[in-house]
Amino acid sequence: MKFFRLMLKNIRRNLIGSIVIVLGTMVLVPVVIFVWSILAFLDAATAEKSKDFKGIVTERWRLPSQMPFAYAASLSEGAASKPGDIKPEDSMTWQFYGGTLDPEKRTRENSMFAIATEPRKLRTMMDELDTLPPEEAARLDEAIQKMEQNRQGIIMGQDRLAAVNKRVGERIKLYGINYRDIDLELEIVGTFPESRYDNTAAIHRDYLLAALDAYERQTGQPHPLADKTLNLVWLRVPDSEAFAKVAGQILASPNYTSPAVKFETAASGIASFLDAYRDLIWGMRWLLAPALLFTLALVISNAISISVRERQKELAVLKVLGFRPWQIMALVLGEASLVGVLAGLCSAGATFATVNFVFGGFKFPIAFFGAFYIPADAIVWGVGVGLLTALLGSVMPAWNAGRIRVSEVFAKVA
Amino acid sequence: MQISPALLIPLAVLGAAAGLLAWRGKIPFGYNVRNLVVRWKTTLLTVLAFVAVNALLVVMMAFVNGMYQLTDSSGNPANVVVLSEGATDESFSNLQFTDAGELESHSKIARDNGRPMCSREAYLVVNQPIPETRPGRPPRRFLQLRGVDDPVLSAGIHDLQLYDGGRWFSQAGVQQLPGSGEGSSERSPAIEVVLGEGIARELGRDRNAQALQTARNRERLDVGDAFVLGGRQWLVVGLMQSSGSTFDSEVWAKRAIIGPMFGKETYTSLVLRAPGPAAARELKDYLNLEYKQAAVQALLEEEYFANLSQTNKQFLVSVIFVVFWLAVGGACGLMNTMFAAISQRKRDIGVLRLLGFARWQILASLLIESLVMGLAGGVLGCGLGALCNGVKASSIVSSGQGGPGKFVVLVMTVSGDTVLLGILLSAAMGLLGGLLPAIVAVCRRPLEALR
Repeated sequence: MKFFRLMLKNIRRNLIGSIVIVLGTMVLVPVVIFVWSILAFLDAATAEKSKDFKGIVTERWRLPSQMPFAYAASLSEGAASKPGDIKPEDSMTWQFYGGTLDPEKRTRENSMFAIATEPRKLRTMMDELDTLPPEEAARLDEAIQKMEQNRQGIIMGQDRLAAVNKRVGERIKLYGINYRDIDLELEIVGTFPESRYDNTAAIHRDYLLAALDAYERQTGQPHPLADKTLNLVWLRVPDSEAFAKVAGQILASPNYTSPAVKFETAASGIASFLDAYRDLIWGMRWLLAPALLFTLALVISNAISISVRERQKELAVLKVLGFRPWQIMALVLGEASLVGVLAGLCSAGATFATVNFVFGGFKFPIAFFGAFYIPADAIVWGVGVGLLTALLGSVMPAWNAGRIRVSEVFAKVA
Repeated sequence: MQISPALLIPLAVLGAAAGLLAWRGKIPFGYNVRNLVVRWKTTLLTVLAFVAVNALLVVMMAFVNGMYQLTDSSGNPANVVVLSEGATDESFSNLQFTDAGELESHSKIARDNGRPMCSREAYLVVNQPIPETRPGRPPRRFLQLRGVDDPVLSAGIHDLQLYDGGRWFSQAGVQQLPGSGEGSSERSPAIEVVLGEGIARELGRDRNAQALQTARNRERLDVGDAFVLGGRQWLVVGLMQSSGSTFDSEVWAKRAIIGPMFGKETYTSLVLRAPGPAAARELKDYLNLEYKQAAVQALLEEEYFANLSQTNKQFLVSVIFVVFWLAVGGACGLMNTMFAAISQRKRDIGVLRLLGFARWQILASLLIESLVMGLAGGVLGCGLGALCNGVKASSIVSSGQGGPGKFVVLVMTVSGDTVLLGILLSAAMGLLGGLLPAIVAVCRRPLEALR
């Protein structure tokens, strides 16, 4: 306890050095946390799960996948047709509809992409929306119910809603971008909770299909995209065995030949997409994050070295009083670690709270992920980074402090 | 190496101030230099922190520069890209054959031996299963195919040439491989393709050790090599000199073969060559405002690629964010060094004051000391970071309006601006980090300092 108190006193007396360590840690730890948050999210998204995983059915060869809607019903059943075939636990179809509020002057702000789907599946099949806290879940459920009753309803991400400068309850008209001449009149019935869906919107698939039918009635011919309107089908299966069985059913089915389809895990699909970013991700993992830690360790090492040099007399006195070299080393290491840990904790905590609750995540343009959030693990990372860099930075100064020769120090004083 | 005049101004101001001080300022430079040498360990640690910050800045900026270079240099000012109306990306565009015929007959389109310079193209992104997946890599990749009708004409419009030893694919677009055909398990002829350099390198990595031993080129696929896609053999007949453009990551083949094969029965885009940039603008306006035969939208090719720079902008913002915080961290380290240096030299500073040096001269001397550390770290860091110049990296460029964007191989480019920016940032960090300690030092009274 006395040793600890001595550490605290030393930290207070060496105020400038301590402040520099705190400032350096407070400034650099958030950047490390940003980088690691992105990497941790991408690693989790591309890691295969052992159970309760989702698979995606898409067109086998082409991107973007465009399948006939006639595939939807049987694919949602996992192409189960014979006794003994396995059906997925849940499913969801996605049709992408792009529209703009102003067809004369289309901008990023007045345009949006919406997922046309079965409204009730938003809560059971969409990542993160299936595990919402009760209050947010209730709000979203209410919006979904409105969309079930009114197929012209639209649920929008909060950033998108702000970008188009509209409010819940207002009506909008979207002029088709990818579905030319398919314009939709929609009523905003709710928003997604603050999440990765901040820039997404969801509409009722029946409304899009009805609009395509209406086009055919009016023009006498089907819309050019009428037989290419199904983009993805999500299937939830309990385990890898069921996944393999369902995959076999789909691939063996003669119903999906023009175009052919493929069934892959969500992790595999995301990994293929992220492959284009592999050099960037490599750079973040192996260049940026280590360089940040190196810089922080250098700043701390410099501060501790200076502090040890300035306190040579004091350390010599401690030796005269009976402190062993290892105790002096421990004192210097302990001071640096204490400051590092506290600064890391405060910095990580502040980053976690500010980014998640004030800014609603941070934007980084990788693949289709709109925003990244700081995971709760970041608090541990912050403490770890503070401790690790403080220890790395103070090893040499602590070693030198332990080797101080009393006679030399007092000879200089004399 | 091009340098923006805007960046030269602060450098010139800094140089002029240093020159003025050296000429008229009576600054004890020798004293400052000796101090840095005597405290070499602290100096070295501080400089190293600056090296790390600047090296990172240069590497990250080189990546973003590479992306901008791709989007900026892929277009020809006399080319007009025609997509179907509303398409946000080539992948979403559908142009009918009849539309193409009508469009290319327009009088504003340049002619080559009487033929309209119109490149009819079908751009496709397809899934390619990777035969022997390497650990940690996905089992398939997205491959960008560009089907064209007349490769020589299309290459001319896009200003692309082939490396020696290659040729454009034939009129038939297919070729029987030795040992294939009748009586062989591989009956279909191979599809002839021309590859961009970047994708040739990428596909070359799929080869196993055995294949590499007999490979013509171990770095990339070369003329005569083949790969598998969609259950067919694809034979490389040429390699494009496409480095630094988005075409570097593309596979070109006969449209009439790959279109039906992957379910794209229409063109995605037409690229029209006008006699000059002004004529290209006129052609674009005509197609957007007056042309009524088909619902199309026209863009200058340069505009089209500039629209793909949305990702570049977002990356640039991220780089600025990271560098800002790194710079603050580096400046903290320098401030600590200077505070320590000054507290150890209280008496020296007192003596200098008594010798007649004015406060501003001592302030300038201490600032120059921190500036020297910052600049030394900056120059070394920029030098270290510049080693990445020319390194190839993969990424995506996109308009951010939906669509997969384009998968590209970029060449990391360390520009003069990046180096100068790094040096100026170091100078700013040096000055800011040294300012507070220097002010504290000169505010002390000489006799107090000597006590």
